[in-house]
Amino acid sequence: MLFGQQAKDRVYVGERVCRQCHHLSGNRNQFNPWRLSKHALAYATLSKPEAKEIAELSGIDVDPHESPICLGCHTTAYNVEAWERDDSFHAEDGVQCELCHGPGSEYTDADIMRDPEKARQAGLLKPEERDCMVCHKEKGSHIAVLDVRKFDYKEALKEITHPGLDGPLYPVTQPPAGPLTGPEYVGVLACDECHGEASAGRIYGKWRTSKHAQAYAILSTERAREIRSEMGISGNPQKSDRCLECHTTIAGESAGRFTESFDPAQGVQCESCHVPKSESGAEAAVPDSVTTAEAGIHDVEKEICIRCHIKGIHGHTFDFETMWPMIDHTKWGEEYTRLEYKTPFNLAVTKNGRRLFVACEASGSLIVVNPKTEEIITEVEIGTQPHFVYLSPDETRAYVSNRGSDDVSIIDTETYQVLSTITVGDEPHEMATNEEGTILYVANAGTYDVSVVDLVKGAEIKRLAASRGPWGVARSPDGQFIYVSNNLPRFGEFRTPAMSEVTVIETERSIIKHRYTVPAANLLQGIDIAPNGEFALVTLIRTKNLVPMTRNLQGWIITNGIGILWKDGRIDQLLLDELSDFFADPTDIVFSKNGRYAFVSGGGVQEIAMIDIKKMKQILENAPEIQREEVLPNHLGISMEYILTRIPVGQSPRGMAVSPDNRYLYVADALDDAISVIDIKKRKRIKVIDLGGPKEITQARYGERIFHSAQYTFERQFSCHSCHPDGHIDGLVYDIEPDGLGINPVDNRTLRGINDTAPFKWKGTNPTLKRQCGPRLAAFFTRIDPFIPEQSAALDRYIITITRPPNRYRTGNELTPAQRRGKRIFERMYDNSGNLIPLTNRCNHCHAPPYYTNREVFDVGTNSWLDTHSGFDVPHLNNIYASPPYLHDGRAQSLDEIWTVYNPDDTHGLTNDLTKDQLNDLIEYLKTL
Amino acid sequence: MHRIFLILAVATSLAPKGLCQSGPTITLAGEPYVYKEWESFTEESTHGGLINDHIFFLEADGDSLWIGTEGGLVLYENGKWKSWTEEDGLPWKVVMGLAKDPRTGELWLALFGEGIARFSGGHFEHFTQMNSGLLNDVVYGVDIQGDNVWVATTAGISRYNQVTGEWAVFNEKHAPMEEVWTYNVDAAEDRVYFAVWGGGILEWDVKTQVWTDYVDPDGEMEIDLYRDDGLVHVITTSASYIDNVLWAGTYFGLSRYDRRNWRGYMDIDSGLPSNFINLAVGRNGTSCYSCTDKGLGVLVDFETDTWVTYKQDTEDAETWTAHVMVGNQEIKTMSTNLDLPNHFTICVEFMGDDVWIGTGHGLARGIGNGYYDGLRGKGSSAGSFKGPTNPK
Repeated sequence: MLFGQQAKDRVYVGERVCRQCHHLSGNRNQFNPWRLSKHALAYATLSKPEAKEIAELSGIDVDPHESPICLGCHTTAYNVEAWERDDSFHAEDGVQCELCHGPGSEYTDADIMRDPEKARQAGLLKPEERDCMVCHKEKGSHIAVLDVRKFDYKEALKEITHPGLDGPLYPVTQPPAGPLTGPEYVGVLACDECHGEASAGRIYGKWRTSKHAQAYAILSTERAREIRSEMGISGNPQKSDRCLECHTTIAGESAGRFTESFDPAQGVQCESCHVPKSESGAEAAVPDSVTTAEAGIHDVEKEICIRCHIKGIHGHTFDFETMWPMIDHTKWGEEYTRLEYKTPFNLAVTKNGRRLFVACEASGSLIVVNPKTEEIITEVEIGTQPHFVYLSPDETRAYVSNRGSDDVSIIDTETYQVLSTITVGDEPHEMATNEEGTILYVANAGTYDVSVVDLVKGAEIKRLAASRGPWGVARSPDGQFIYVSNNLPRFGEFRTPAMSEVTVIETERSIIKHRYTVPAANLLQGIDIAPNGEFALVTLIRTKNLVPMTRNLQGWIITNGIGILWKDGRIDQLLLDELSDFFADPTDIVFSKNGRYAFVSGGGVQEIAMIDIKKMKQILENAPEIQREEVLPNHLGISMEYILTRIPVGQSPRGMAVSPDNRYLYVADALDDAISVIDIKKRKRIKVIDLGGPKEITQARYGERIFHSAQYTFERQFSCHSCHPDGHIDGLVYDIEPDGLGINPVDNRTLRGINDTAPFKWKGTNPTLKRQCGPRLAAFFTRIDPFIPEQSAALDRYIITITRPPNRYRTGNELTPAQRRGKRIFERMYDNSGNLIPLTNRCNHCHAPPYYTNREVFDVGTNSWLDTHSGFDVPHLNNIYASPPYLHDGRAQSLDEIWTVYNPDDTHGLTNDLTKDQLNDLIEYLKTL
Repeated sequence: MHRIFLILAVATSLAPKGLCQSGPTITLAGEPYVYKEWESFTEESTHGGLINDHIFFLEADGDSLWIGTEGGLVLYENGKWKSWTEEDGLPWKVVMGLAKDPRTGELWLALFGEGIARFSGGHFEHFTQMNSGLLNDVVYGVDIQGDNVWVATTAGISRYNQVTGEWAVFNEKHAPMEEVWTYNVDAAEDRVYFAVWGGGILEWDVKTQVWTDYVDPDGEMEIDLYRDDGLVHVITTSASYIDNVLWAGTYFGLSRYDRRNWRGYMDIDSGLPSNFINLAVGRNGTSCYSCTDKGLGVLVDFETDTWVTYKQDTEDAETWTAHVMVGNQEIKTMSTNLDLPNHFTICVEFMGDDVWIGTGHGLARGIGNGYYDGLRGKGSSAGSFKGPTNPK
């Protein structure tokens, strides 16, 4: 028996089982108050249009009903495997008994429930304030959309109070089953199987939030008893045929006309108005009114309503025309829609120069445009977040990497049909084929590897380990090698300069040939190889993360440059910055066809730097060794000598392509939804091709532009994006505040889906993102005037919409055996010796779902000699696998090290009793969160 | 277990030498190939090119040879030596095992006491029990099967999936392991074998994901009570799987298993120079090279039980002698130019027709000019098989 405490696996049984004893008047009337509470509606409210907006502001880009984050607080047992839910359990019942009291299979027996100690041992939990606060703590996303009042625990407790001690126990009486004498009533949950779907308009949700759904439970209220008396009815209204006639669906029907799925306590259900489901089976599709009628389901007319809504009954008037729209479940009212921009990231041009293929991340599409006529030839829906497009050598196929859905779409370049989709690693970025076009190499930024795809077989055949965050891909002119840039630095010793890598693949065998180290550099993104094969150029930045950020007044926080990788493996670095005008966020780099120039897109400065290759080489060749190694990589003035000009373009320039005739440079202006066309000879932008995105600039789009712009930092050194590429991490530890050299180092954290994980900062002192990114930003980062309120609000709005990718370690709710074992460790109460683990030393005490943080500050004993405090914000664990290093100062390079190295005294959870295989299991589970 | 080993050592030394030697006169059924020409390499003779004389593992890579030593990693390529020590980024100098991933071209290193490392593109990546899911840092062997890196450690078996990043653990809780001290691993496409010190041989079926264990049916008996009834002993040191045949080296002899029948070999009834086998590697289903503390025992032809054993005949012998044997009967001896000073043979590797051996004092390459498998002239006038060599 694992950990000694759990003899049997506990299963969620659902409120229906609890109700058997807790649906009685007096002290056992727990069902009715719950049914009338917001808890019971929690799942249904996810159908509301507002839920979508809240989801967007939480970085959730799936339907709220499918989001583990939303479901975590809006239903029960969302994060368990299917076998852990009994048939009697229904997620549609929202926040039910067992969310607070634990899975009930082992304590529902009346004998056990009578003995509090036995019940506790069987898993009955008594929730405390901290348990409630896991969900009820203020959430920025909800505040922004809903008129929510601050949660007052004591007041809220009064609302849901449902004392359950003493009182008689009677089994609830269900209508007895009997022979079928006509159409059967199946109940609303059977209808929900189809009509709860988004495609069916979420009808179930609409009904559940209506008074019809509460019609039965409301009979338990004091007001109902008053009405009962007024009507001269005696006894419990919920047992009165007269009351039930209009407050449930079953009244007056014979006992044999109910299936087991029917639940009278659901109130006035679908079949009250639409007549019972026919034996012909309403589960069959009901595509039109004729079929509907044939199936025995008819449209609702006024006459049906007024059977119960009798004029003046209970003091109410009933106007059908007024009331009908209130229960009209054909639509939810105005749907929340998000303005869809294009956001072109990368592009490719055909050999005849007549077509540009543009991968657009926000619209999930591939746009084909004629660069001469500016005509959009077509727009093809591709996948989620298309990032890069690459044309096959014969140009019959376009390959598009979809970083949101982890695959590559293959498109016929004549018909523009998506022919197939090939699954690759996480977050695929750039790609290239071998010369023959038979093998495709895909840089997977999320899994730190390169997919080798056999295009003949149409499948990935192997993965090659890159360094960290492989991003750019380029093939050498002789076809022998594929060069891959890596966005994140290698793991290194604590508080040492970033060391990044260019990974070189030999195409003949598709094996790793070289791993070139680029010292003191990170964010290696764009990469291209000189037409003569002499060297490769890669964009990079040099982040001085180990000195306080205050140093940016000396122009020395982030410098921006290029790496020159010679054929013999030698690496030089040159800066693109000028002394007082930096070139923030170099993103892509391409050579002119003749190799005389190279162009670098400056994502943060809205410019393209034009490099004179001959002068660049002269600088390097004429410099003494020590100057090449130590001076030039940091020389802010050297750019004046080899950069011919900077050409202004649009917002957030990203990928580029040179026309085959070497006359034009095409630039994807990501946040303008446009392509800039630069005349290379004239060295200026001559036109802008509009890709057809919305012209309205929303607050979030405005914020996105701010996020990607360096104009707000001193001398345009960097943007938010410089440290948070793709809204994520740069893998570095920073010395931010001017509290002494090296004091309080902090690991850079992701921005994906963080809105509702407040507080912010590792110290947990910033309650909102607005505060995190407002005045504080200027004080510590930008060192110029802070954002004006409008800018601050826009930036905040954008950041909270940055989405968290789906978890790649979990398929549905099924866990692997190792993950399942790990879950038990995560939730364990007893150690390997059977000793009770103190509450604060259990994993899920601080890391409570759905964000797996209780959003508190806690001391886990990880403060070091460099820290001035010991309490740190409890980090959320969603997609935790994607953001190493770990701990507040990034000293743990892997999840393992958190416990193998940095938890010697069991202050960060009791873990030292775990065997190595148990720790592995725990980590496998953590990856699924 | 160590107690058992001592008892067994005494027992075998007291066993009558000629116990299994009765039978008719033995002659060669054919001529086995004998490596007479060798190139020897020591730290001294290579002027430090071979950085350490304690050779722990050899891995052929085309015409190049990777060498795991007590002092670092060495590559012998085109007649030149290249080495990596901790100064060059090698995480730990004691390289106990090596495996070249045929798909990625990367070299995996088993580091005794310091986990494993991936050597790729000139860069080492280090995995330990502290920074990864590796079960234990005392690693004896490593091998590759598909996307998986299998690791033999002193605490059991680890499996690292290079695509998913998952570390799986197999020890007494997850596999039929009476002991967990895993000495050696050999991975093929369909099966992966482990030599578990005191636990026999473990077999992992790649398709069914099921473990099978092979132990000595005699239990922990100090002698092999019934011949060919199974593994000769549970104290195994190596497993080698080729041509659907498993070769298992133990400290008490060699076993061969063709998935139907077992066959055991000990020094008293075979060409093995010693029962103390550090590593046994099958060259094919009928031939196996056993590295022992007293030289190299080569079963050249399973069917005829023909052996060639290479060893120093005396402690002060300047060169090794090749002994051509059928069973334990020496047919003839042949001199070689192999002049390594120590015949404590630790590892062996094949490179085309050549064979490499690593010893406690240096490295040698047997030049396979005109090499052939099996016996030349077998079944012809070159000789005839006169009788059983292992009477039961």
